[in-house]
Amino acid sequence: MSVVELVKKVLFMEVLQGLALTFRHMVSPSVTRQYPLEKREPFPGSRGLHALVRDAETGKERCVGCGLCAAMCPSQCIHIYTSEGDDHKKIVDRYEIEVLRCVYCALCVEACPYAALTLTDHFEYCGYTRDEFYYTKERLLENWDKYMAGEKGMNYIKNFWRPRSSDFAAPSPERKGP
Amino acid sequence: MPCTQRKLTTGILMNEMKHSPNNNGSRLATKEFTLNMGPQHPATHGVLRLVLDLDGETIVKCTPYVGYLHRGVEKLSENRNYLQILPLTDRLDYISSMSNNIGYCVAVEKLFGIELPERTEYIRTIVSELSRIANHLLWLATHALDIGAMTVFLYCFREREKILDLFERLCGARLTVSYPRIGGLKNDADARWLEDVLAFTDEFPGRVGQYETLINKNRIWLRRTKGVGVISAEDAINWGLSGPTLRGSGVPYDVRTVTQYGMYHKVKWKICTGKNGDIYDRYRVRMDEFHQSNSIIRQCIEQISEGPIMADAPKFTLPPKDRVLSDMEHLIHHFVLITKGPQTAPEGELYVPTEVPKGELGFFFVSDGTGKPYRMRIRSPSFVHVAALPRLCEGELLADIIANIGSIDIVLGECDR
Ligand code: SF4
Ligand code: SF4
Repeated sequence: MSVVELVKKVLFMEVLQGLALTFRHMVSPSVTRQYPLEKREPFPGSRGLHALVRDAETGKERCVGCGLCAAMCPSQCIHIYTSEGDDHKKIVDRYEIEVLRCVYCALCVEACPYAALTLTDHFEYCGYTRDEFYYTKERLLENWDKYMAGEKGMNYIKNFWRPRSSDFAAPSPERKGP
Repeated sequence: MPCTQRKLTTGILMNEMKHSPNNNGSRLATKEFTLNMGPQHPATHGVLRLVLDLDGETIVKCTPYVGYLHRGVEKLSENRNYLQILPLTDRLDYISSMSNNIGYCVAVEKLFGIELPERTEYIRTIVSELSRIANHLLWLATHALDIGAMTVFLYCFREREKILDLFERLCGARLTVSYPRIGGLKNDADARWLEDVLAFTDEFPGRVGQYETLINKNRIWLRRTKGVGVISAEDAINWGLSGPTLRGSGVPYDVRTVTQYGMYHKVKWKICTGKNGDIYDRYRVRMDEFHQSNSIIRQCIEQISEGPIMADAPKFTLPPKDRVLSDMEHLIHHFVLITKGPQTAPEGELYVPTEVPKGELGFFFVSDGTGKPYRMRIRSPSFVHVAALPRLCEGELLADIIANIGSIDIVLGECDR
């Protein structure tokens, strides 16, 4: 061991260097956030609680009850009950999501051919009973009014209801079919 | 033995010593003592349970019990189509879910024979290296905390938070991302996002320097890690170790150079290896990988160009939304893909490994041509690493077991699946 190393060892140089670093951090601006008091705006497209899109013209849900979202959901937490209306159209009687089982993968949004379902950026919800987490059609529509009203909802659909034609490579000439 | 039981439940470690001198009269004769560690123990990094037979403070036998986090991912996958399995793979190694997703997608794409567009490959490489950095940051944070260095923990989480924020901006989720899709990506990365990743890589090497200042030469750190938990290169290969745990023993094996995926062949990087195979070397390998990943990300951002992000494989990817309701064939594809899965999957068996931050993650498919895998087997690095734990610990001190568990970097979600 050289003299320099010995002196360093005796003086606890490596520990002092570490202490100098922590001291510098002590006087530098803080990077933490006092969470419940200080909230950060979620980024657009953040995946939180669901909302059923309310159609601007009819004022009702846009969903037609095709059941694709329920088929796609990997945790199988979407339940849809439909019946036949007077004009032989499908009526969505009940549309329910058990959000406690949901894993927020947004595959249901991707499966919907009508852009009738979105995820909102609302993620802070809690309750005392399981019923509070059983979202019915009415509550899901309310979510749309609460969290996705105006431009926000339309922007979500524009940016996160994918894939779109612009995402795809041009079809190779030898391939047949669509 | 009520006496032993009481000690077990209160967690007090004591030798049941007989105070009788043995033959040469110098040592106390001791009796083996069984200690249960875990499954709820903060230093086991999850729900790992170890049953330790102790002779004094020396471990005579160590038996890991796994399965506390078993959710049956493999069995669940048999009842889901290829598109639906993706979110399940998030929950294997929840610390680096991006890498798991990519590993799964690469395997399925090889099975289906899908060629990816270049931009997709670049973005996947960038996010999987970001996830490698995030994983190693969490590893360093908890490993250092286990050994007793608290400051490093706080600093690592500061940088990890930035990566998670970047993930949230990219795909909407911080931890369980589900970002890649079979044949492409959920959505494109915009130019601002790429710029911010570049800004992150600018400052990150300096931050690694800070962690190194804190612990690299610290004498307590060195005493706890140097020469402890040594794995020889031969043993490491025989035990099937992979990832930084294998490379720490000096074996230059990295699946990124073996499986063709991502853009690793287009960028310059080197495989980091250690020499002695002890805990310190495994730590050094991961610290060097910080710099390698950082440089891979930078090169990818330099090379990336505009382009499509979804492959041209209509039998396997969801059709474009703007054509689903206007084009009959697209509508049919949409319905069939979602309700039944890809109907033209080739039959056969395929194993595809990828390099996740913890080691070699492999997916083995038995496909019978339907939309669901007949069998999906996951080869997870953590499971193999846990199996090596007894040989690492036996004969060492009780306190070193914490350092050993940390150094092999396991996560029980992946081990138990
Ligand atoms: S986000 Fe995923 S888990 Fe939740 S309802 Fe939609 S598909 Fe199901
Ligand atoms: S996929 Fe869309 S339209 Fe069909 S049932 Fe679900 S939300 Fe309604």
